[in-house]
Amino acid sequence: MNESVAPMTPMTSRERVLAALAGRPVDRAPVCNPTSVATVELMDLVDAPFPDANRDPGPMARLAATGYTELGFDAIMPVFSIIQESSALGCKMQWEQKDNWPTVRMREPIWTDADDIVIPNDLETHRDTRCVIDAIRLLRKEYGDEAAIVGKTMGPWSLAYHGFGVEPFLLLSLDDPGRTALVLDRLKEATIRFGLAQIDAGADALTLPDHATGDLVSGEYYERYLKELHTEFAERLPVPLILHICGRTVDRMPFIAETGMAAFHYDSRNKPQESMEAVGDGIALVGNINNPETLFARGPEEVRAEVVANLEAGVQMIAPECAVPLQTPLENLLEIPRAVRDWHDARTAH
Amino acid sequence: MRLAVRGTMGIVDLGRRIELFSMDPHCHDISIALYERGDGTGAFTVHSYSRRPEAAARLDGVATAMRKLGGMVAGAGPRDVRFCCGAVHRLAVRRLFLDACKPPPGTEIAPRAMVVLDKKSGQTITAHAMDGGRYRLSGDGDDPRRVLAVARGLVRLAEMEAVEGADCDIAFACGYGHDALIGLLMVRALNLRAVMREIEMQAARGVLAAPSARD
Repeated sequence: MNESVAPMTPMTSRERVLAALAGRPVDRAPVCNPTSVATVELMDLVDAPFPDANRDPGPMARLAATGYTELGFDAIMPVFSIIQESSALGCKMQWEQKDNWPTVRMREPIWTDADDIVIPNDLETHRDTRCVIDAIRLLRKEYGDEAAIVGKTMGPWSLAYHGFGVEPFLLLSLDDPGRTALVLDRLKEATIRFGLAQIDAGADALTLPDHATGDLVSGEYYERYLKELHTEFAERLPVPLILHICGRTVDRMPFIAETGMAAFHYDSRNKPQESMEAVGDGIALVGNINNPETLFARGPEEVRAEVVANLEAGVQMIAPECAVPLQTPLENLLEIPRAVRDWHDARTAH
Repeated sequence: MRLAVRGTMGIVDLGRRIELFSMDPHCHDISIALYERGDGTGAFTVHSYSRRPEAAARLDGVATAMRKLGGMVAGAGPRDVRFCCGAVHRLAVRRLFLDACKPPPGTEIAPRAMVVLDKKSGQTITAHAMDGGRYRLSGDGDDPRRVLAVARGLVRLAEMEAVEGADCDIAFACGYGHDALIGLLMVRALNLRAVMREIEMQAARGVLAAPSARD
């Protein structure tokens, strides 16, 4: 990937992200964060602290917009947490405070069987889902065609963790594959309904986290339980989807590449080159910049090195591997778009 | 109406952020950060992105507390601080900053004496300033291991050097004395494990874990 290239007509951030998600040529690799880049300092900058920014559309939109206006990313991603629809489903919540993430109290599960699952009629109008939808609407109105707006709808595996608790759900998946499939089938309607509502509000793309993570779930499990469902999401949600799964996932990347999703948001535990080889031409990659060690604890030089490693491997979109820690230094986040621009400038200068 | 700032103030280049007090209970839970300017002067800046009117006075107070507690001096900017020696003493200044954020505004702040009571051995441990940034630690009891533990703790917390041939002698590489830093860090040096645990907990806070990693 070291050859020089002819410069293209400059694109807007939104054009750049949408082109990359569609597999079309881009003027440079977009910096497209499928998950949160909110930090406590950005919260201060626009007076939009957690938990307000997770529950009120104004602060949520203000904080999300800083990714574009302050950090220079090409996308705006307002769904910072992974619990908005779980709140609407009735899970017990802990909203925490400014410097910590809201969580579902998974030790107080709300379901014990597939038959317990009821997708409430107010899923899209519950305070914590409506907040997301209204924030997307505000952002679309404000930023028009400038920046890509990325929403988020959680996949059924993640929702099952929240509703049943991690251990009970994993045990169910071992003991009763039929009931497990039924759980996932019932929960997929929440994924689709919340996703469609965000698309209707103006989302250009959706992140779909489904935590079949490398540490607990095998590639074989992914194929058995999730590949078909994820293919269905790609068919029923009419925007590019970005699947997010944490951890070491190279073993399931070939399956993920066959789902029809536009991109896979991948973890730093997978090397860029091996990941590109695993997905082939089937799906774009985004992510991989390490959070806990690099973005949180090291400096711009190390961030730049990881950005370049991804670009050299041909990774289509550049981003942190997951929601960045809330205490991440801003200079490290600013380095991501700078490194991307410098890398492209160096190639086009020859 | 614009939703967010578009270059009117925004992010400022203050160098590298080396420490963060993420929620200040004394000032509307604003975050306060310490930036290392990296301009060769050894200066640090106390900064917050909060635009609350009370933030300015609070930042002034933290910078003042750093000067008093850590023996620092004012730098070029109103919230700049530095050590007279010109060195950065990065680890020590991070701890100093966090300690300077803790007392409520209005608290009388004074440098701590270079003496600490070690409850484990029941002895008082004292640091004696010598020439060239060197300190000798001694205890008034009969457990020299605890004195040595405090010396080693200071070496870790303040990035000091152990003096060869003298177990309880330690020194700053800059060659200057920093009595206030020694006084501040001696209490922490008594229980280095607790300090390390605190650092680990602080690093884990604010990191989003997958649901599978939380149950």
